[in-house]
Amino acid sequence: MKLIIQKLPVFLLIAGLAGLTGCNKSAESPTTGGNNTPTPAAKQLTIAFLPKSKGNAYFVSCAKGAQKAADELGDKLIIDGPTDPDPARQNEIVENWITLGVDVIAASCENKEGISTALRKAEAKGIKVVTYDADALPDARSFFMNQATSQGIGYALMDEAARLCESNGEFAVITGSLTAGNQVAWRQFVEERRAAAYPNMKCDAVEACDDLKDKAQSETTALLSTYPNVKLILSTTSLGVPGAAEAIKQAGKTGVVKNIGLGLPNENKRYVHDGVTQGVILWKTADLGYLTVYAADALAKGTLKSGDKTFKAGSLGTFDIQGDNIMLGKPFTFNKDNIDQFDF
Amino acid sequence: MGASNKPSIKSVLLRHETILFAVLAVEWIFFDAIGHNFGTYDTSCDILRHSCEIGLLALAMTPIILTGGIDLSVGSLLGLCAILFGKFWRDAGMTIPVAAVCTVGVGALAGGLNASLISWLRLPPLIVTLGTYSLFRGLAEAITHGVDTFTDFPASFLFLGQNRWLGIPAQALVFFAAVIFFWLLVHRTTFGRSFRAIGFSPEGARYAGIPVGRRVAMVYVLAGIVSAIAAIIYTARLGQAKADAGTGYELFAITAVVLGGTSIFGGVGSIHGTLLGVAAIAVLHSGIAHALLPGEMAGMLTGVLLILALAGSILPKTISGLRARKAAFKIPKQTA
Repeated sequence: MKLIIQKLPVFLLIAGLAGLTGCNKSAESPTTGGNNTPTPAAKQLTIAFLPKSKGNAYFVSCAKGAQKAADELGDKLIIDGPTDPDPARQNEIVENWITLGVDVIAASCENKEGISTALRKAEAKGIKVVTYDADALPDARSFFMNQATSQGIGYALMDEAARLCESNGEFAVITGSLTAGNQVAWRQFVEERRAAAYPNMKCDAVEACDDLKDKAQSETTALLSTYPNVKLILSTTSLGVPGAAEAIKQAGKTGVVKNIGLGLPNENKRYVHDGVTQGVILWKTADLGYLTVYAADALAKGTLKSGDKTFKAGSLGTFDIQGDNIMLGKPFTFNKDNIDQFDF
Repeated sequence: MGASNKPSIKSVLLRHETILFAVLAVEWIFFDAIGHNFGTYDTSCDILRHSCEIGLLALAMTPIILTGGIDLSVGSLLGLCAILFGKFWRDAGMTIPVAAVCTVGVGALAGGLNASLISWLRLPPLIVTLGTYSLFRGLAEAITHGVDTFTDFPASFLFLGQNRWLGIPAQALVFFAAVIFFWLLVHRTTFGRSFRAIGFSPEGARYAGIPVGRRVAMVYVLAGIVSAIAAIIYTARLGQAKADAGTGYELFAITAVVLGGTSIFGGVGSIHGTLLGVAAIAVLHSGIAHALLPGEMAGMLTGVLLILALAGSILPKTISGLRARKAAFKIPKQTA
C-alpha cells in the first residue's frame, strides 16, 4: 500500500499517457462529421474554410462570402486559420479537421509543399479538398478557385490606364520587385496589352519599390521630376498605390497625374475620395469565398466533377473551368463610385 | 530517494503533479463531452504528433530551468537546424541519415556556444540565449534569404513525421526514448541531483564539490542536440524546412515546464511534471479545435491554466502557512 502511495504520481502519469495514446472509444464515422452533430439533417455538409491568416481583412471578406454561400446551401461552415501566416499551424488545423471528420476542406495555402502533405492525408480519408486564393500542389486538391490570371491582371491594369489617359501619352510603372515571378508576369502582360492595343502610349520607366510604401513614394517623386510628361503612375503592387498617391499629392499634381494599380480598397479609400487615385484593381474577395464554398459543396455532392467545363455558383451565375482551375473571371476596378461598398 | 521518506496521502494529493493530472483529466472529459470525435484514437495520435517537437524542447528545458537557467534559443535553433538539414541533404548531396547526424552535430555545436558563454564566461543565460535566439534565426534567414524552402523529401523520411509504426506515430518513439533518457538523467543519476543543487545555490554546489561549470555546460549542449532532433522531426512532419520553423516554440516549451511545476528560480521540478504540462497544453489546443471554438481561445486558456495550476499547488501551502502563523500568534495570547 505504501508503495502505491509513494508511486502514485508515477501510476497516474502512466494512466495519463495511456489515456492520451489509448482509445477511449472508436472513431465515430470519421469521414462524415456532419452526421455527428445532434441535428439528424443527414444531408448537411460540414465545410472547413482555411484562410492564410484569420485577422487579415482580405480573408475576413472572403469568409463573409463563404458564410453567405453556406447559409444559402444549408451547410455548416467552420472557419479557422492561424492568427499570423504560419504554415505549421495551417497543417495542425487541417489535421484537426481530419480527425474532426469534416466533409470538405477549402484552403488558401501559405506554403504549398508544406500543407499539401496534410491535404493529401485528408483526401486519403475521403475528405474533398479545394483551394482558393493560393493553390496547393495539384495532386493535393481537386479544384483551385483561380481569382485572376496574370493576363487578366495585366490587361485590366493597362486597359484602365488607357481609359484614364484616353489611349495617349506617357506613363511610368512602380513594381514590387524586378525579379519576383508574379510581378514579372504582370508587367509582361501590361506591355503586351500596350503594344497590341494602345500604341500611342509610352512607358517611360519601371521602378522597384521593394514592396515598401515609403520607397514607392520616393521613387514616384523622382519619376515625376525626371519625366515631367508622365500622365499616369501604374503600380503592380498593392503597396505602390498609396505610396505613389502620397508623392503625387505632395507634388501638387493631384488629378494632373493619374494614379492606379493593384490594391485593397481600404488602403486607398482616402486617396480615391481626394481624387489623387482614380482606381484600384483587384477581385471581389467576397465572391471568391462564395464561389469556393459553392464549389466545395458541389464537389462533395458529386455535382462538380473533373472534366466539367463550367460551374454554376448560386446568385453569381456561371464560371468557366480551365483544366482544374475554376476562374473567378475578370478583375474588378474599385473607384470612387463603388469603393465604399467594400471593406477589406 | 523514495524508500526513506514516506509521504502521507494528503501530501501526495496536494503535489503539483497530482493537481495537474486532475486538471488534464478534467480537460479531457470536458472536450470529450463537447467536442466531436475528440476521444478517438486518431485524435490522440494527432495530439501526440503535434506535441513531439515542443515536448522534446520542454524535456531539454527542464534540466536547464532546474539549474536556474533558461534557454530562449531553442526555437531559433530548431529553425536553423531544419534548414541546415535541408541544405545538407539537397545541396551537399548527403543521404538522409548522414544529413541527420550532421544536423545533430550542428545542434551540439550551437548548444556548445551557449554553454561556453554561460559556464566559462559566466554570462547570464537569459542574455546569452537572447543573443543566440536572434543569431540562430538570423543565420537561418541569411542562409535561405528568407525565401528558399526545402521540400520533396523522400517518403521513407516523411514516414518519421507522418506515419504510424506499430500503431503509434513514428516520431513518438523518438519522443518516448527522450522521455526515458531525461527522466533517468534528472531523477535517477547524480547529475539530476547536482542540477537541483546548482539551482538552489550555485555557490553552495561549488563548495560541495560539484563541477558546476561542466554540469551547466552539459544541459545547454543537450538542449542543442535535442533542438536538432526536434528540427528533423518537424521537417518530417511538415515535409518542408523553412527559416521560420519553430518560431515561438521556446515560449511554449518554457510554459510547459513551468506549468509542470518546475520552479523558474531553479532547484525544484520534475520530468513527469513537464510531460503533464506538455499534455495539458496539447490537449487544450486540440480540444478547442474539436469543439469548434475559435483558435485564439487556446492562448487565452493556456494562460488561465498556467495561473490556475500554479495557484492550485501553491495556495494550500500558503493557507497552511498562514494557519501556522495564526496558531503561532495565538499561543502567547493563551499563556498571557
